[in-house]
Amino acid sequence: MFGGAKGGGATELDAFYPIRPECKADVPQTRFKPRAGKTLSERRWHASFTQDGHLDIAKVLRRIQRGLVKSYQELVLVELIFLLKISGVLIEAAPLLAYGVHPSIKGVVWEFLLGCYDPNSTFEERNLLKEQRSTSIRLLPLPDASAYDHSSLLLAITAITAALEKYNTWKAECQRVVNVIGTGKFITTPLIGEDGQPTDNSLIGVPLSDKKVLQWVQTLHQIGLDVVRTDRALVFYESETNQAKLWDVLSVYTWLDDDIGYVQGMNDICSPMVILLENEADSFWCFERAMRRMRENFRTSASSMGVQSQLSTLSQIMKTVDPKLHQHLDDLDGGEYLFAFRMLMVLFRREFSFADTLYLWELMWGMEYNPNIFSLYEKSDSESEPAEANENAHTLSAKSLKQYGKFERKNLTIGNTEQQHSALAVFLVASVLEIKNRRILKEAKGVDDVVKILGDITSTLDAKKACTEALKIQKKYLTKTKKA
Amino acid sequence: MARRPDDEYDYLFKVVLIGDSGVGKSNLLSRFTRNEFCLESKSTIGVEFATRTLEVEGRTIKAQIWDTAGQERYRAITSAYYRGALGALLVYDVTKPTTFENVSRWLKELRDHADANIVIMLIGNKTDLKHLRAVATEDAQSYAEKEGLSFIETSALEATNVEKAFHTILAEIYRIISKKSLSSGEPAPASVKEGKTITVGGPEPTKKACCTS
Repeated sequence: MFGGAKGGGATELDAFYPIRPECKADVPQTRFKPRAGKTLSERRWHASFTQDGHLDIAKVLRRIQRGLVKSYQELVLVELIFLLKISGVLIEAAPLLAYGVHPSIKGVVWEFLLGCYDPNSTFEERNLLKEQRSTSIRLLPLPDASAYDHSSLLLAITAITAALEKYNTWKAECQRVVNVIGTGKFITTPLIGEDGQPTDNSLIGVPLSDKKVLQWVQTLHQIGLDVVRTDRALVFYESETNQAKLWDVLSVYTWLDDDIGYVQGMNDICSPMVILLENEADSFWCFERAMRRMRENFRTSASSMGVQSQLSTLSQIMKTVDPKLHQHLDDLDGGEYLFAFRMLMVLFRREFSFADTLYLWELMWGMEYNPNIFSLYEKSDSESEPAEANENAHTLSAKSLKQYGKFERKNLTIGNTEQQHSALAVFLVASVLEIKNRRILKEAKGVDDVVKILGDITSTLDAKKACTEALKIQKKYLTKTKKA
Repeated sequence: MARRPDDEYDYLFKVVLIGDSGVGKSNLLSRFTRNEFCLESKSTIGVEFATRTLEVEGRTIKAQIWDTAGQERYRAITSAYYRGALGALLVYDVTKPTTFENVSRWLKELRDHADANIVIMLIGNKTDLKHLRAVATEDAQSYAEKEGLSFIETSALEATNVEKAFHTILAEIYRIISKKSLSSGEPAPASVKEGKTITVGGPEPTKKACCTS
């Protein structure tokens, strides 16, 4: 579509996630370039902590979300550049300037964005934990409570310690059942035959009388089949040890979350965590936190899949904000929005290059950030009652509102408090549809045409623009539904 | 004959690709529609589709092929696509016996959810992996005969029999459609495109330079 002009600045980003030379032409090109002085750099990240280690999350969020187009003039400019690009006048030489998080610190920042850590815990304590994490995990002593005046800090430390301990305990449990776990190897053929008996008794360590255990064992080859097909273009996965790390994390997650189990697509979500965080337990918890947001999408039954609930929200949003387009899609028998299925399941991973997805995700998680997620997750683990997520915006000061991402802030300020808030991803799909509005209305004569038109976003979608548009749609939707 | 644009055709046939995870469904499709094979291909999430317009028995047929996720957990979504499909390519991997053993389950799936007179073709893929073959051609052949399916072995990697497989099933669908309209005395439907289709996911990016062709 666009002429050559490869390279540019985007290669700088790709250097962090090297692509096998023979696959370079095979993957979507990275379009975002970290902009020196605008990204959240390592230096700025460290400067965002107070002396004792409290993280100024508002400052971090501000920088991550900085790429979002604010002014009208800026929007016009972006629009113009976009038009010039699609009309072929402007060759794709200049990469889009990204803000986001610098690749060298993505992993640690994600841990905060996803709620693995409380921004209110201290730096020193986290350091201590990290140190002990790499040596002996089980023997970590709890800090002396009298030394800290912050009870939430203690909660945080206990939780982190317990979390790490938990991962290793779970992994050991898995290992006892199937001894391939944790060996740096993995399997791709079924461990259980048609007759319900193990195909290779030497791999199975316990009698498989428990139904849940049996179910888990039956899933492991599927995980393996997907691991060998995950981001194979990246040099990282040329190593069997790294593939096995992804397999281990997914296997332990499946062991833990037997309610949902393993569903294809989870590998796409987990892969970046395995790459960005060296410590396997850290990768696991980052993935686990990401799944808290997404796991309902993966719930399957004989007649439906969980993601269909997000699809019906999407339908609701489109009906509200753009009835004409919705009607058109409905006429084409696309009113169920099934064509957006994959975008929601793997959070646009198939639409963007690896590096661009990372940028999109941290932008999304930054926008969705709620400073209470850490304690919410911890509470919902220890209490049977799920913690109340919504706070009333009126009780929050302007300062504390800044600790919320832009998207979450709008939920608090405009949305109904009793309303279950929809994921940003759903609004993002809506924004993609809006960006393609004219073409869909004019050219789509069937749902297959819609799929084709949306397929083009692989090479043309601007994540920042889509996120800005998503915020606009959210505002419109919340305002309209509140009135009604 | 002048090359027709993609949207000019006599018939539109919807065909589904089904079978266990990792047997090579997506690569059979990319080999057929774009003459490409990708060693780094990713697992299919939900349903994806591709089309190719070709001449079959002197008619222009637009084949709309729906590629499905192999994992059983996706069945609720994928089986929705069986409706209105005139053909099904049921794929197994000749190097993996369990994928062949599961063929009967897939047949049951089709009988439960697809139109009764859907044309089914059994495909044993990955014949290029000669040293790993674990399912004998004769076994699959006799199974297909018993179940009344047509059968072919393919290699998407080496492009062996892929054209033939798709041509055979499209020709068979065409024969059934034209026979039907003869016996009913009605003209053949101009196209089957009015059939309701549901769409999931988008087509993969089309230009894949590292893919062998």
